[in-house]
Amino acid sequence: MSLLEFEKVNKYFGETHVLKDVDLNVEEGEVCVIIGPSGSGKSTLLRCANRLEEIQGGEIRLDGQSISDPDADINRLRQRIGMVFQSFNLFPHKTALENVTLAPTKVKGKDASSAKQEAKTLLDRVGLSAQSSSYPNQLSGGQQQRVAIARALAMNPRVMLFDEVTSALDPELVGEVLDVMHSLAEEGMTMLVVTHEMGFAREVGDRIVLMADGRVVEDSPPEVFFENPKTDRGKQFLSKLL
Amino acid sequence: MAESYSDGSATDDDFQEQFLNDKTLKFAGAAIATLFTLVVGLFIGAIILTQVDFDLFVEIIYPQFVEAYLLVLGIFLAGSFLSIIAGIFVGLGRVSKTRITNTVASGYVEFFRGTPLLFQLIVIFFGIPAFWPPGQFPIPNWAIPAAIIGLTLNHAAYVGEAVRGGINAVPEGQMEAARSLGMSYVQAMREVVLPQAWRNALAAIGNDQVILVKDTSLLTVIAVPELISAFRQINSATFDPWTPILLVAIAYLGITLPLGKVVRYLEARSDWGGDRR
Repeated sequence: MSLLEFEKVNKYFGETHVLKDVDLNVEEGEVCVIIGPSGSGKSTLLRCANRLEEIQGGEIRLDGQSISDPDADINRLRQRIGMVFQSFNLFPHKTALENVTLAPTKVKGKDASSAKQEAKTLLDRVGLSAQSSSYPNQLSGGQQQRVAIARALAMNPRVMLFDEVTSALDPELVGEVLDVMHSLAEEGMTMLVVTHEMGFAREVGDRIVLMADGRVVEDSPPEVFFENPKTDRGKQFLSKLL
Repeated sequence: MAESYSDGSATDDDFQEQFLNDKTLKFAGAAIATLFTLVVGLFIGAIILTQVDFDLFVEIIYPQFVEAYLLVLGIFLAGSFLSIIAGIFVGLGRVSKTRITNTVASGYVEFFRGTPLLFQLIVIFFGIPAFWPPGQFPIPNWAIPAAIIGLTLNHAAYVGEAVRGGINAVPEGQMEAARSLGMSYVQAMREVVLPQAWRNALAAIGNDQVILVKDTSLLTVIAVPELISAFRQINSATFDPWTPILLVAIAYLGITLPLGKVVRYLEARSDWGGDRR
């Protein structure tokens, strides 16, 4: 059994069929990078994984437990799935530290002082111990995104979802966020990453999943995908990058 | 067509160049403001000097006006507190995706914004006691509870619309981020969306609360001894209009001006981290 399983997932936005029979298994400790042209459904697939989007067919499971089942205790399941967004979505009325402690105290009922202690450790880990009392609008984009990663990690998730987390950043700030993700991967975090950063995909990814038109069209290790893609779609996609 | 337009605008442009450019506009604005201040100042000065009877002024401050002022202040504070609490629920109903909740909240707002407050006060003050046999209505002094109920119901509709606007102005991603951390809808609303919606809605809510203060003047119709009632009483006893008018003005401004300060303080307090990086 894989940690995160997508089985025959189908998703429609009104009439538009955005995910077509998607099968994907993410193993524990694996970094699975989803790439593909815009509109291929990769972000939607990620958002279905913690049910920010509902699916109309198939099933998604975490540790064998259905996420897509209407009766699933989604609030409980989401605690085990961390998500980082393209637009950071930090809570602007809370300091960096409070952003990190909010969910552990309110959702897990952790006491304030131990939550604070853990949050400080996490902020230190993403290199922001000096900014813990800053508000989001006092931080740069890269700093905000690193706080967002710490915020997601504070719930001790089993898997982390990254939805184009560097796309909204100034180019010089991309590196600091990718560095944090790189070290997370080295520590063995299971990660499902949607990105346009091919260098990161190649270096950190264990698997490259290419999506096009709502389908998974290629699923290869990075050295295969970037050197010698198995499919024509893969070759086509790579040729456009150069 | 095009030619006649350009002919016409040519003379307009000349006129603008000569008489209405940035400099003359600034000057005209300052001149009008000065003139206005002068006229109003003279008018008020003339009233105070020629119309206000200072012996009467001092005599009526206490007890009539102090009592009326304290009563208006009390009704305002109760109505303000209750209408903001109720308004938050109306606003939550307005953004609900549940059909019945949304429809009921919309209907509520349409009714209470669509009929005059005076009418609503009359319904509550005269209508409700009619369910009991004459003389058996159990609440003594019904005018004041009726006033607070009427003001609350009416202003909850306006506060609700302000709250709805405030919630809609919070980016969708805020709710998503909160939910993705495992928070329930209620937790996400309470901890993340509403504090931001509150800041967004503060100016509109403050504006409405100033109107609530002024709406207490309508309570004279349902026999609440508020400021306008105090004016009418003194005026009919002394035939002096300006002395009580001056006190009425001072009393209303004595609530609305501090209220404006409170709103500005709350706005400044929710400017998290300032607007500059």
